[in-house]
Amino acid sequence: MENKHFEQQLIDYLDGKLTDEQRQKVQDYIDSNQTNREELEKMKALFEVFDQVREMQPSGNLRTGFYEMLEEEKQLQSPKVISVRNSESQFPWKRAFQIAASFLLLFLGYFAGSFGAKQEASQEIANLKVQTVELKERMTLTMFENRSASTRIQAVNFSEELEKPDTTIITALIERMQYDSNINVRIAAAEALYRFSDSEMVKTAFIDALGTVKEPDLQIAIIQFLVDIQEKRAIEPMKQLLDHPETPDFVKAQANSGISEII
Amino acid sequence: MNQLPTDEELMTRVSQGDLNQMSLLFERYHLRLFNFLVQMTRDRAVAEDLTQTVFYKAIRYRSSYKGGQFVSWIFRIARNLFSDYYQKSKRSWKTVGIETVVEEQDESLYERTEEIAHLYNTMQKLTMEEREFLVLNRFQGLKYSQIAEITGSSEGAVKVRMHRVIKKLKTLYFETI
Repeated sequence: MENKHFEQQLIDYLDGKLTDEQRQKVQDYIDSNQTNREELEKMKALFEVFDQVREMQPSGNLRTGFYEMLEEEKQLQSPKVISVRNSESQFPWKRAFQIAASFLLLFLGYFAGSFGAKQEASQEIANLKVQTVELKERMTLTMFENRSASTRIQAVNFSEELEKPDTTIITALIERMQYDSNINVRIAAAEALYRFSDSEMVKTAFIDALGTVKEPDLQIAIIQFLVDIQEKRAIEPMKQLLDHPETPDFVKAQANSGISEII
Repeated sequence: MNQLPTDEELMTRVSQGDLNQMSLLFERYHLRLFNFLVQMTRDRAVAEDLTQTVFYKAIRYRSSYKGGQFVSWIFRIARNLFSDYYQKSKRSWKTVGIETVVEEQDESLYERTEEIAHLYNTMQKLTMEEREFLVLNRFQGLKYSQIAEITGSSEGAVKVRMHRVIKKLKTLYFETI
């Protein structure tokens, strides 16, 4: 028997896995020399140590943990089977339609909302515009009464921003032009009134003012306005200005050229 | 007299949804699995955790049981779990000696003799695979055919390998005694 073969047989020999015939062969080989006997003794000793290894006991936690886990798994068991079947058995048409419907509703809601909002918003903006104009008009009128000349000029400027000022504003502007204590306010008011050259009330006011105002700057502004609108009724008051001894020469010159332009 | 159901019969029932049968298998196998994992991890707490995880996996993957030897199937789960654990703790592995386990042992459960201490020290010189073969065969009493089934090898190959491992262990054991 070869030594290599003997090593393998030795384990089976100790494990009692050999047939009687094989067993006898190994036994003979062991008895044949001292080295083999020593090998057997070593192997026996090792196997005895194996036998000394005692089984260890786990703590009670292992069993407790196992039964808790088992309970949890049992709880999970039944609902899980149903849900898995439902989701895997076929395409979820119902759910797909639900999702599609909710998207449709979302878009409809968005468009309806934005359309309605636009209408509402434009209505609100219109209302706000009206309110703003009213507020500006009232503010302008109030500012005309202010003691400060600069505030009154500011009021004149505000009035220019009003697209279609009502008659109270125009009346107020005419009053400013004719009677304001400050010449700058009166000139500013006159310039503001230029815009309303179509208004008969404004035309009349300018013709009247030509006979009453004494300030040369204002007189020139009025002459310019009346010439621009080709107001023939202005010729007579202009002639009166030319005749008036207090009228400055440069105003007379403006009046002269004005009369010739109107004609 | 009714015969007790075999492991395979019980596991088949579990795989069909009768989870209660797993408690019988737990009672039959948890000690063996725990001891295998203690031998391999040398850490009682880790071995307990892994043992419980073995049964958790067995329940979770019950449908993968196709009626083969239950002992091979359950040990294959344990072996894979240990392998994962070993890969994760490879770095710290060398710092944990057998003393860690031995010191923690309850003396009434674990007879600590010089021979056993020497055996464990010698076993550390084996590769992980060699030690696994030794534990499964010599301490857990699994047959070559069962180990072959667990490791995906042939019975003959396992036998040759086993003899080699024992010879190596014997040499190492007596050269340092």
